[in-house]
Amino acid sequence: MKNDNKTIAVKMLEPGGNITPVFILLAVILIIAFILDILLGSVSIKPAEIFRVFTGNADTNIETIILRFRLPKAITSLVVGIALSLSGLQMQTIFRNPMAGPYVLGVSSGASLGVALVILGFSSSFVPGNLQNLGNWVLVISAWAGAGAVMILIMFISSRIKEIMTILIIGIMLASGISAIVSIMQYFSSETMLKTYVIWTMGSLGNLSGGQLKVLTITVAAGTILSIASVKMLNALLLGENYAGSIGLNIRLSRLLIFACTSILAGSVTAFCGPIGFIGIAVPHIARNLFGSSDHKILVPGTIMAGGIIMLISDIISQLPGNENILPVNSVTSLIGIPVVIWVILRRRKETGIF
Amino acid sequence: MDTESNKIIVLESLRIGYSSGKHTKELIPPITASSDSGELIAVIGRNGIGKSTLLRTLTGLQESMGGRMFLNNKNIGEYNRMDLARKIGYISTEIVRAGNMTVFDLVTLGRFPHTNWLGRIDRASQIAIENSLKKTGLTTFRKRNISELSDGERQKAMIARVLAQDTDIMIMDEPTAFLDISSKFEIINLMLELTREGKTIIFSTHDFNVAVNQADKIWLMLDSGLLEGAPEDLMLRGSFDHLFESAIVGFNSDDGSFTFMKEPRGNIYVSGEGIIRKWTERAVVRAGYNVSAKEIDITIKSPNHRDRKWMMVTKESTEHFDSVYDLVRRLQR
Repeated sequence: MKNDNKTIAVKMLEPGGNITPVFILLAVILIIAFILDILLGSVSIKPAEIFRVFTGNADTNIETIILRFRLPKAITSLVVGIALSLSGLQMQTIFRNPMAGPYVLGVSSGASLGVALVILGFSSSFVPGNLQNLGNWVLVISAWAGAGAVMILIMFISSRIKEIMTILIIGIMLASGISAIVSIMQYFSSETMLKTYVIWTMGSLGNLSGGQLKVLTITVAAGTILSIASVKMLNALLLGENYAGSIGLNIRLSRLLIFACTSILAGSVTAFCGPIGFIGIAVPHIARNLFGSSDHKILVPGTIMAGGIIMLISDIISQLPGNENILPVNSVTSLIGIPVVIWVILRRRKETGIF
Repeated sequence: MDTESNKIIVLESLRIGYSSGKHTKELIPPITASSDSGELIAVIGRNGIGKSTLLRTLTGLQESMGGRMFLNNKNIGEYNRMDLARKIGYISTEIVRAGNMTVFDLVTLGRFPHTNWLGRIDRASQIAIENSLKKTGLTTFRKRNISELSDGERQKAMIARVLAQDTDIMIMDEPTAFLDISSKFEIINLMLELTREGKTIIFSTHDFNVAVNQADKIWLMLDSGLLEGAPEDLMLRGSFDHLFESAIVGFNSDDGSFTFMKEPRGNIYVSGEGIIRKWTERAVVRAGYNVSAKEIDITIKSPNHRDRKWMMVTKESTEHFDSVYDLVRRLQR
């Protein structure tokens, strides 16, 4: 039992080790990934061109590619990565469940239902036109409501059932049930609405309008600030609710705050980029092992950086550098995230710790 | 008589229980009890009587169903959550499982009610953490992952966490439940030391001997209500007789032990001296016989050295045995 930790090669730091070099390393990788995401794609851009864009004497085509497409997409990737990873970290701590994440527990599906209600339900009967014409805030708030509803449902279930895998299976059932409802709605909706919705479900980082990116950035920034403010609560919740209550934590208030925060983060991303899987569940585990810590003062910034990096890398892969085609980003994140999840499940068989 | 001022906890007709939805269940008749500062109080009673519920109610994790509860002569309702967390610490049998959490991290969480919104560890907290690690003998364990601790070490780490919380009162629900014998006494010894330094410790236990031999006071929870007093007072009042409302087990108030009530198979006199005679007598009782005070038909002569033979003399025969084991086997035939 005692030597289990040593068998994990990925572990960079033993608990209590020096974390500063890891933060510096992550910051450097984050910056490199961000620049690469701008440079690589169907048209490769030389690093020097970026400087020319900002000094104002670049080729107009390249300027358009960078400012209109690549830069917004890179920012979207960064924001999406941060939001999904943070919501995953919070869910894992509050449910004390290493398998929790917005996608696997159906929170993203809940947000999808909210979006589907707007796109397929209301818009087809009241508002002609496409997704762009809808109020961005209407979209985002309906996603929050859907995500929040699922969060409350899962909390209710997990207060009765403590078994981690059972909750996971119920989460999958919830997600399936919601997609069944959405399928029925699709059946009754018009062709144009259906097309809008199907494209949305494929998940995309590049289709956001300027207004949408603004709404996404504002809401994720708000969620991130809330996450940082809830660091002490998250640490106390690691003890479980009884001990957390006995050291003075207001369980109900902190749960409400963290739920709101998770719903905002996961809901906003789902509203504009579609359901993107496995980032939320995988990144917190990567951060935990990079820093060898359970302290959210370290894990929150660590997860923010790791989440940004992984999402930028996913985006780089999905643009297939030097190729005209673009892969659905959801597939890329799944392929990156699933091995991490399997590794966590396999490791759990040996370790007694929950995370 | 009593001056109310040094009573740290006073319970007046406190009613405990739980409610789920419309259904409420009260567990034991209203409780009236108190604790002086620096006392070690053992809460004993059968499973399901409400020991954990009482301890959770004292900690403020659960609402009482009526009655009053005073802490330092102030009604508990006047304390807010954080004030209460600075007065009362709590340890249950629940095991904290969090990956990558070190002993130091765990103990640090005890500072929760003393730190700012980010949980920053200031100088005072640092000193408190170091002291509680030292007191529990865990200084060298600070970087150890809590999932790698033995049961005894884990319990010490939990105690260190509550010490860092710097409370006057510690509530412990079955602190020795999963421990081996030596860890058990280490923890009990630590608890005794802490009460000598002024902490008030209220703990529940199923270990009757620990409660009777170590506690300053026992809160005995029976279906008829809670009785409090020094172990010896309760013993002399015959209160423990009610602990087992069963025909199988009897309580012996001479030495505070429990025995199985069964019809003796007969009487046997044991001769001999000292410790060998004493243990031979116990073996005779275990085999289902009464130990007779005066010589009768069956006599067992215990040897004066454990390498010699035991002798059983009856009217018909004399038998020799190499060990108590062989003797008991013969008696049970």
